Amino acid sequence: MEEKRASKGSGGAIPFLIGFVLSAVFLWIIFPQVIYCQKDQPIRFSHTVHKEQGMECSGCHFFREDGSYAGLPSNEQCAECHTDLMGQDPAEAKYVKEFLEKGRAVPWLIYQYQPDNVYFSHKAHDGFECTDCHPNLGDSDTPPPHYRNVITGYSKQTMKMWQCERCHAEGGVSNACYVCHK
Amino acid sequence: MGLNRRRFITFAVGGAVGSLFTPVIWKLTDDVSIWTQNWGWIPRLKKGADSAVPTVSKLCASGCAVKVETVGGAPYGTKGNKDNPLSGGGICPLCASGAQLMNSPARVKGPMKKTGEGKYDPVSWDEALEVLAAKLKSAAGGDGKALFISGDDSGTANEVFSAFMAKLGQSGFYYMPGEAQAAGRAWRETMNGSGQVGFDIEDSDCVLFIGADALDSWGPTVRNQKAFDATHPLGAEAAAKYVYAGPVQTRTAAVCDKWVPVAPGGAAAFALGLAAILIKNGASASAADFAEFKSLVLAKFTPGQVEKMTGVKAAVLADVAKTLMEAQRPVVVPGALGGGAAGFAAGAALNVLLGRFNAKGGMVALPQAPKVVSGAMGPAQALGNDLAGYLAAVAAGKAKAPEVAMVYEANPVYALPQAETMSAGLAKAGFVVSFSTYLDETAAGADLILPAPHPYERFDDLQTPYGLGRFTYCLGAPVAEPQLDVRSTPDVILGLAAKLGQDLGFETFEDVLKAKVEAIGGNWDELAAGAAFTRSGQVSGGVSLGAATLGQAAFPAKATAPVAVAPVMRLNVGSGHVATPPHNPTTIRDTELKGSVMCVQVCKATAKQLGVSEGSKVKLTGAGGECKALVHVFEGVMPGVVAVPLGFGHTAWDEFSKGKGDNVNKILTARIEPGSGLTTWAGSTVNVAKM
Repeated sequence: MEEKRASKGSGGAIPFLIGFVLSAVFLWIIFPQVIYCQKDQPIRFSHTVHKEQGMECSGCHFFREDGSYAGLPSNEQCAECHTDLMGQDPAEAKYVKEFLEKGRAVPWLIYQYQPDNVYFSHKAHDGFECTDCHPNLGDSDTPPPHYRNVITGYSKQTMKMWQCERCHAEGGVSNACYVCHK
Repeated sequence: MGLNRRRFITFAVGGAVGSLFTPVIWKLTDDVSIWTQNWGWIPRLKKGADSAVPTVSKLCASGCAVKVETVGGAPYGTKGNKDNPLSGGGICPLCASGAQLMNSPARVKGPMKKTGEGKYDPVSWDEALEVLAAKLKSAAGGDGKALFISGDDSGTANEVFSAFMAKLGQSGFYYMPGEAQAAGRAWRETMNGSGQVGFDIEDSDCVLFIGADALDSWGPTVRNQKAFDATHPLGAEAAAKYVYAGPVQTRTAAVCDKWVPVAPGGAAAFALGLAAILIKNGASASAADFAEFKSLVLAKFTPGQVEKMTGVKAAVLADVAKTLMEAQRPVVVPGALGGGAAGFAAGAALNVLLGRFNAKGGMVALPQAPKVVSGAMGPAQALGNDLAGYLAAVAAGKAKAPEVAMVYEANPVYALPQAETMSAGLAKAGFVVSFSTYLDETAAGADLILPAPHPYERFDDLQTPYGLGRFTYCLGAPVAEPQLDVRSTPDVILGLAAKLGQDLGFETFEDVLKAKVEAIGGNWDELAAGAAFTRSGQVSGGVSLGAATLGQAAFPAKATAPVAVAPVMRLNVGSGHVATPPHNPTTIRDTELKGSVMCVQVCKATAKQLGVSEGSKVKLTGAGGECKALVHVFEGVMPGVVAVPLGFGHTAWDEFSKGKGDNVNKILTARIEPGSGLTTWAGSTVNVAKM
């Protein structure tokens, strides 16, 4: 009887450790890869090509007269230059053929999408660098992949509320609910 | 070491404990919580540039010059257009709901063809137009086979419709009855006037509204309110005196300097009583029938006789006459909610006697925009056609029913007096087509529904809404692309005309409007940007006092039931054309609608006479139908009168209006006014029984 009990006790520790280690490894390393699916932008938009044409960031990403932020350019803005194909890049041809000519807005994948219940004013954050919050796309020739959380639909880079709160706290800005949620 | 049950459980426990040393549980909890923010059925905000786009809104009868607030091109709100004198930045309660009405669940989503009682199938526009063209072809030959009813009496679209009817050999083009029609017909036929009559209340120092609920629902209400506001500054003495005469202390009466209770149907007698006093005090007019008029009013409308007919005591009548005589620039504004010509003609005659015709701050005859569509019916003929009289005759079998009836932006099944009789008349038509934006009562019974765009989705115009004192033209250009399968009705008619081999001279309605703008000397770009084209000047020429008609029509109709009905229209509740908008149910008081039962108002004396009290359930029975209501005792109603709210009792539309209250148009009694031959329902009477 004593021999049997000892055998059972030592046999239990190893499976426990194996389960512990495998679970920890899986959930630390593999799970984060599984929960995000990688997506590419519908058009390979090259910021560098546009910068080489002498365009400023504010040419497309600007504040309107009322202080609201235009965000991404509309087809009408793009059409100011792309009335016809301007180069040989297949990405441009795809944009003109599939979106501009059909009057369809490009369904860009937003790296920092915030839901409607968040009232975020770019004007109030005008003193920060864009890259303090956004990935630096200004120097990219190919937009980085968009990692979409399969549960939430948000991108991996989406700023969470705790990040907003921490920055507000560090900057001495109110964290009252109504500051961001109207 | 093999895997047995015990080791497997230990392995699983190890895995579970291991997971606690990772952030996965917290991550999943967080993910699940924010997953709920983006469920598919949660509405998403439209993002984009915020702007205010000018246009005209024709949801109310007179129309408002508005700015439609949009984000990313999608309308979300409406405000008045400060740059347009029509509204001066103000807006009426119906037009204020324009964006919400654009997304109303009652909108017709595409062409529909009736397949059975209350059953419809969607059809393509091509198929629908083929059906209508075939019906019109088979109805060709012989006047009276087709009927067109327009609910818009200020748009150039009517030229397209009436010209189309003329090419079909049909004269049956009608407006829905309203203030403009009653006034227009009285002005032209009873008083031999020309042009369009209006009232320059902005420049008047004394305004007498006789039955015109001008600060709530009569005429260009926003303009009227602005004029009142300008002359009645807060905390300062009023610069003009406003008097309201009518059976109910309406919202207009409540803020006017004086309210004079006048019995329903007594407006003409009240005005002629004032005329008698004016004449006795030396007033005169160069009208050819002045002698006849004078002898009429002095013989039949003495203060004592007027008191019997209207309930207005001689002293009160004399006081109102004195107010008019002492004013520098008085104007009398007669309303005609009950149809008929007498009420308007008597009020207009008062203006002539006061020397206020074509005078600053008086009653004016305004020029009308020239016609641009060849063969279109002129305003005189269009206003002269009496729809209620025609449908009553059809219902009674005294007139031949049309084979095809087309209804544009109108709801005759609901909004005509003695509604059930009129509805029966329309139902006799062989084929009914509704060009309606909404599934109203008429559309719900039509054989074919060809939905019109919302005012923000189409070209339209507004020519001097009835009541304005200055020629005014406004243009409405589309603010947004239609989201539904709808087509502009005048464009549909132009296409139909071409299909039937007609040449109306234009391919699109936009071209018609461009021709109209050119004809009046306006600038298309400026008008499309929200400006109004205005022109001073009046149509000169003498007018008569309408003595011949007034001698027959000015006497109140003989009562057939014990209680007189005073219908009250409140624009926040809706109009004959538009039901209560989605945002407006909260503006309706519980003294107007309690639950799903509407309230009628009587004073304490009338309540006692009827044996009812506050909250009593009653049934009102008129010549053509009955209504159910609760009693609200209100001393702002004359004795012997029951005030009934218009705008309730829809059986179609949507959850914001359907099944709420009863349609009081059912209990109004349509009769032919002696002298003018126009249908009137002023002075309708009902039996009120406790339930």
